[in-house]
Amino acid sequence: MQLTEKVLKEMNEVIDDCLADEPPYCQARCPLDIDVQGYITLIRDGEYKEAVRLIREKTIFPGILGRVCAHPCEEECKRGELEEALSIKNLKRFAADMADDPQNWDLSREAETGKKIAVIGAGPSGAVAAYELQKKGHQVSIFEKLPEVGGMLRVGIPAYRLPHDIIDYEYSILEKIGVDINLNTEIGKDIAFEKIREEYDAVYAAAGAHKGIMIPIEGSDLDGVLIAADFLRDAALGNDVEVGKKVLVIGGGNVAMDAARTAWRLGAEKVNISCLETGSQIPAHSWEIEDAEEEGIIMNPGWGPKVIKGENRVEGITLKKCEQVFDSEGNFNPEYCDDNLKEIEADTIIFAIGQRADDSFVKDAEEIRQVDEVTLQSQKDSIFVGGDFKGKPLLAVEAMSHGRKAAISIDRYLKNKDLHIDRENEGAYESKLEKEIDPEEPVRRRVEMRMIDVEERKNNFKEVELGFNVAEAKGESLRCLECECKECVKDCLMLEKYCDSPKALFQEVKDVGIDPLVYFSCNMCSQCTLVCPKEFELKDRFMALRKIAVEENNGESPIKGHNAIKWHQRLGFSNLFTTCKPASNNEEDSK
Amino acid sequence: MEKTTKRVFIPGCSLSSYNPELVGKTIEYLKNKLPGTGAILKCCGKPTKALGQYDEFKDRYASLQKDIDALGAEEIIVACQSCFLTMSAYSKEQKVRSLWSLMPEIGMPEATVGKAKESDITFGIHDSCSTRDRNDIHEGIRWIIDQLGYDLEEPPHSKGDTRCCGFGGMVVPANPDLAQEIMDRRTAEFETDYLVTYCAACRASMYKGGKKAVHILDLIFGDVWTSESDFPDLEGAFDSWANRYKTKKKIEEVLS
Repeated sequence: MQLTEKVLKEMNEVIDDCLADEPPYCQARCPLDIDVQGYITLIRDGEYKEAVRLIREKTIFPGILGRVCAHPCEEECKRGELEEALSIKNLKRFAADMADDPQNWDLSREAETGKKIAVIGAGPSGAVAAYELQKKGHQVSIFEKLPEVGGMLRVGIPAYRLPHDIIDYEYSILEKIGVDINLNTEIGKDIAFEKIREEYDAVYAAAGAHKGIMIPIEGSDLDGVLIAADFLRDAALGNDVEVGKKVLVIGGGNVAMDAARTAWRLGAEKVNISCLETGSQIPAHSWEIEDAEEEGIIMNPGWGPKVIKGENRVEGITLKKCEQVFDSEGNFNPEYCDDNLKEIEADTIIFAIGQRADDSFVKDAEEIRQVDEVTLQSQKDSIFVGGDFKGKPLLAVEAMSHGRKAAISIDRYLKNKDLHIDRENEGAYESKLEKEIDPEEPVRRRVEMRMIDVEERKNNFKEVELGFNVAEAKGESLRCLECECKECVKDCLMLEKYCDSPKALFQEVKDVGIDPLVYFSCNMCSQCTLVCPKEFELKDRFMALRKIAVEENNGESPIKGHNAIKWHQRLGFSNLFTTCKPASNNEEDSK
Repeated sequence: MEKTTKRVFIPGCSLSSYNPELVGKTIEYLKNKLPGTGAILKCCGKPTKALGQYDEFKDRYASLQKDIDALGAEEIIVACQSCFLTMSAYSKEQKVRSLWSLMPEIGMPEATVGKAKESDITFGIHDSCSTRDRNDIHEGIRWIIDQLGYDLEEPPHSKGDTRCCGFGGMVVPANPDLAQEIMDRRTAEFETDYLVTYCAACRASMYKGGKKAVHILDLIFGDVWTSESDFPDLEGAFDSWANRYKTKKKIEEVLS
């Protein structure tokens, strides 16, 4: 079939803009592009092994993410507009708990390239990059300062949220695929950064934000003043940690919650948290605050530290009321009321007010601080930078996304390919779907995660969340609205019968042609246009195809059944069946 | 003689093939309410257009336009929604009116108002998809049924959101199985067993979809319909052409 330019143009509009293959909101928001709807549907159907396989297509850490992912996907979940978002994170953990099996892990590798890559840091970002690059046939060596793998997953996130055996289990894929892991090896101390740069074809610098920030207020040098990053790290590694009975944590982020809950587990009897922010401004996730409060931790929102009191050891702290955290331009610029003070007794003060990566091992840090946002390549061509090391502390899932991005770039760099092309939809992006919730969709309450009793949590780091059982997972998975477009295909029996989507159908017309019966089966009723978010007039396109088909068939329809119409038309215009009568003359009289 | 023909009623093919009596009564009604009304029985050629035979369609329509011009009509009154669209687009010199939006303006035929108040059945309305954006037609149809006194059922998809009966786009001869599925789905939207359409092709589809179906002119000019009535069947090809011939004769008789 010879398509005219106009017809082609109109079909291309559909091919380009039809939303049929637009991913659901959850997947588009996932920095790792995990097929959430896909694995939730599989869980619903009891296909747990398949669900894990699908998750593992995009991450080697299903069990880790299933426990600690901050799940930005859930913020986008359409179900949230109805009652509550799906419990996506917990369903991922369920799939991993039920059916993850190292025998099914993908350890395949492309042919050896002979290229050597150094990864600094065995955290989530470095691990993902190492795995992806090893798969590409390169030889990766990880250099890790700590005695264990996991980085911030292990020493930033307490074990009661992410048990260490889960980390070890999922990280074991690195050794299985041949990544060389060097623990207790600090760059800048055990090996010079310059040496690594020279010996390896490329470097991915992905050290975590292990260095806590401290503000020099009066008393901050007293015994018993700790930094959350160090405190959590020591607790995670089993080092001696000195925690008193009365602890106050300064800070309102997730790390503050972790520090407080860890202190409580290590024997503190009274734990306070003070933070400058109040209400929804508090940076920690709401569920982290709830979990902390459940353990008896007392929130003091709207208070900042004025002075830490004590002789040698901390005895207490004076807090001052914070009246405004951000100025009118939105900058962090706290204002305090020095007359409104509050005393809290404490023998331990933990600062959890921010942390950053230590970059002192790089001589000229500036050179690797300027990083291409698209490729993560630094000014030094062979050095790539990501994770917390790129600037600010990231969510685990974001750090992993950096790892994948860096791996794509490094692989291209080593193969002398363009680093920039086709990288638009890496990481999170906005779905173009225009899904509307069916007004008859029933309300289905979110399945809450069961947890171990608060009493049982004291003095240990047992995992708090118990995970979903089969019934809970099934019930939760049934809540998925399965967001997609294809409104026309759902509405039109003809489209449903002949295509997956208009996009795919017109692509087929262009590529190989289709049976004329398809476009001669359109009722020309415009119902597809009514339900299409793009208001595509599919009938016009089908009509254009009919026209061409007729032209190419000597003016006749190629459809056999249409022969009869020829005769109908001849009769319908014949004298026998037509008449043309003027108004009758007598009607005026009859009026 | 031509001067007296101000407007022309064109019943369309499907109605003429369905019921000559209804066409005759409609012309009598129009004659009475709007003196100066003539009539033409001829196809508008839309079936050729639907097949993509645009050249043939132009010839066909020109033949109809010649008749309209010969009568000197300034206005066309149609009872078919497909005719309404085709003629609105191609007879630029004439004003095209739907009988269904015209009736509320000129009033119901004599002795029809309230005649069906005692009927024991509820009619579901199937709107034609081709005029889904003509609110005046939707409202006119509902006004007529209300005037007659029948109870109404609106299906989930109606008026602007109506669904095709399955006949559109010449799909019935091309893909009868699919057309049947579409007819079945459409009739399944109604709770009542009795449907009314304002297109004779839609009526046939609703019948094929398993319902008792009538044309709105059946309600206006026929006896009062009840659960005891005999509802019209599907006319075969021979009957259709015989009806078409009878319609021709009827028109000539009424306008003689």
